[in-house]
Amino acid sequence: MNATEQAPIEAGFPVEIGRIDKELGKLWEEVGDTKTRASLVNLAIFTEKADSVAANTDLISKIASQYACRALLIFANPAASQSEAKAWINAHCHLAGKGERQICSEQITFQLDGEMISALPNIVFSHLDSDLPLYFWWQGEFREPLDKKLWGWVDRLIYDSAEWKTPAEQFQLVRKIRTLTEVRTILCDLNWTRLVGSRFAIAQMFDHSCALARVGKIQKVSISCANYTAGLLLLGWLASQLGWKLQPTGDCFLSGEGKRIDFEIQTTVGPVLTRCVFDCEDATLEIWREANSEYFQARIGCEGISDGVMLVPAGRSELADILVTELSRGGNHPLYRKGLAAIDALF
Amino acid sequence: MLEITEVNPLREGLTSRTMPDPCAVVIFGATGDLTHRKLVPALYNLAADGALPPAVSVVGFARRDKTDEVFRKELEEAARKFSRQKISDDLWAVFASSIFYHRGEFDSLEGYQSLAKRLDELDAQRGARGNRLYYLSAGPDQFPIILENLRKRGLNKERQGSWARVIVEKPFGTDLPGAQKLNAMVQEAFSEKDTFRIDHYLGKETAQNIMVMRFANAIFEQLWNARYIDHVQITASEGLGVEGRAGYYDKSGAIRDMVQNHLLQLLCLTAMEPPAGLDANAVRDEKVKVLKTLRPIHGEDVHQHVVRAQYGAGTVNGKRVPAYRDEQNIGMGSTTETYVALHINVDNWRWAGVPFFVRVGKRLPKASTEIAIQFKAAPAVLFNVDGQTIDPNALVIRIQPDEGVALRMSSKMPGSSLRIEPVKMDFHYGTSFGKATPEAYERLLLDAMSGDATLFARRDEVEEAWKFVDAIRAEWEKSADDLALYAAGSWGPTEADELIKRFGATWRRL
Repeated sequence: MNATEQAPIEAGFPVEIGRIDKELGKLWEEVGDTKTRASLVNLAIFTEKADSVAANTDLISKIASQYACRALLIFANPAASQSEAKAWINAHCHLAGKGERQICSEQITFQLDGEMISALPNIVFSHLDSDLPLYFWWQGEFREPLDKKLWGWVDRLIYDSAEWKTPAEQFQLVRKIRTLTEVRTILCDLNWTRLVGSRFAIAQMFDHSCALARVGKIQKVSISCANYTAGLLLLGWLASQLGWKLQPTGDCFLSGEGKRIDFEIQTTVGPVLTRCVFDCEDATLEIWREANSEYFQARIGCEGISDGVMLVPAGRSELADILVTELSRGGNHPLYRKGLAAIDALF
Repeated sequence: MLEITEVNPLREGLTSRTMPDPCAVVIFGATGDLTHRKLVPALYNLAADGALPPAVSVVGFARRDKTDEVFRKELEEAARKFSRQKISDDLWAVFASSIFYHRGEFDSLEGYQSLAKRLDELDAQRGARGNRLYYLSAGPDQFPIILENLRKRGLNKERQGSWARVIVEKPFGTDLPGAQKLNAMVQEAFSEKDTFRIDHYLGKETAQNIMVMRFANAIFEQLWNARYIDHVQITASEGLGVEGRAGYYDKSGAIRDMVQNHLLQLLCLTAMEPPAGLDANAVRDEKVKVLKTLRPIHGEDVHQHVVRAQYGAGTVNGKRVPAYRDEQNIGMGSTTETYVALHINVDNWRWAGVPFFVRVGKRLPKASTEIAIQFKAAPAVLFNVDGQTIDPNALVIRIQPDEGVALRMSSKMPGSSLRIEPVKMDFHYGTSFGKATPEAYERLLLDAMSGDATLFARRDEVEEAWKFVDAIRAEWEKSADDLALYAAGSWGPTEADELIKRFGATWRRL
């Protein structure tokens, strides 16, 4: 999508950048006691897609209904002929609890044209809600040189590896960002968060004693995923949790007992995971999801299991829900990093 | 023979908490209100959140004759009414297939024998691993026989690689000897680590937040002592009367129904020292220390430090309500207290001289449970001179409803004159964390399945609490002359106002 110079009018009403705080203050004075401003984090979103401003504003509204935040939406338009910075403010209000009160989150939208993109760190830092963590969602691909001034302040870096054309290079850059922040920044890949329900479902299938007894007998894993990177992330999780080591040939793993485990990843249309099959020495374990279903079905094809199909919640898959899942979880993503390390050579 | 890895490696790190092992949850008294209103909706919500292994099965054990299908249908109706989340037809169908009904008499071994057989069959069918969680939800008079028969049939025994646990609903005894007897009986069947005495207040998010607020925020803990705190008020007010619990309540009264368990637990969480760790015993050790330091109230002291009262007719929320003695199934001459106010001393270094005021009552103007820490006033040297009064700081932890924390402080009113008014910094769970908080029973069931007893009462905790309450009741049993009356819809008897007034304080207006 080409960047345009059209103002993102969907983002609220225009304000001078130097008067943002005053205008927000006025906004809250006008609404009086009927509305409460709330914020748990600063959520900065960076995009270069002009047509995504409306979609992002809609998304922020959905997120704010479940997770109060100060949202900074930054639309960069480096191709613009003039260098200019514009701002809009907006509030997203939702009835809370039993409906007596409205809880509001603020959104400040910036359009940075031309060389004003270099002002990005200053723009972000001067409009943070103080003392609250900074979560930065970078939509699209990272580019070098990385701005240490910007990344050094990010508590949680959010990105979506499903959108990357060159995952290997992008993962390198993500690692580099982390070193810039002395490993303080928590990495949040939405492609990984989207797999939460799938990982739960697979884990639940292995709760069954017949399935659990076959962990050491897996010979092949076949994954059908919406994007190849998601398939690799799922494979990486399985490998790291089950102690499989990728072989130098890159076409199979070896288990802790030295048994060979083949794998296959297919990309399919539909939810992030549509099918995952474990071929074992004496059984087939399978989990799949029908189109538009909110559940995975799991079949444990072992001798003596008559009613082998189980239904397991697939988790929410709307982008706003994925984001809220990510914002609501505290702490690190150790499984993600372990999983990435297990399949690094496959990118 | 397949080798079964005991721990599912794919579960590791999926959530920040331990996932429970597959197990069979056997509910004794499965046709009762608790099963329908709380337990099954809680289990369904756990399943809907993906927090329950699919191999978990729920077996209802009760006297009435009914089929699995009828039992499932009844539970479905209740779940649709009481579940926190909307019931999904697809998920309910699968969840319901894990529910079974087992007819049996509590006092007949036959039912337990057939239960054992059925549980083994379910293990094989559902891929569970022989783990059992027994939930005693029957009347407390049935607990001894159920425990005895579980033991006689060997259902209490851990088999290789599996566990057997019991959850005991309140009331856990009706006095200290009763609790000791019950404890002894439970321990004949289950070890302490496998015994989970439920107090649903401890499963509430806000109750769990007390420790986090105290020990994860350095600013509060420095002030959390007799040097800075004037007094503590713990209130549990209810707008409701006895509703359908007249039979139980009239025998129990407010002190046994609420103070012995819920309110003393809240007091413990407020007053305890930082535990050495977050494991069940470390936390419970500290709570027991608090209970041991409660100054006993007995003999004549009871009349000085405790007020009991019963509600008369009045108006609650614009509706006329009858007096307690006119409620259905309550005797005309009942002297059961529906309201208690206590002044409690915690005799240790931290709390020396700090009164804890605890009040609980039915038919009060509104339902609210909170802990209020009233700080000492600032020295009267700058602003609060010349008759200007400044309200001291108060930190209020709202347990329910409108869960949250508020800090009252003084602030200058805008203007040229120096006028100081109290303002409130308020944190609402609902505002900050938009998602619905799980029901207490969800958390507690999950913890029991995971073997985490932190939020359950330990034997010595229960017994120490009874010891404290029994001393008061012993004096009450001599005569009911001190039973005060209050109008339904009021904030309790004037005697309670006088009790707190003697210490220079007043009850908080909720």
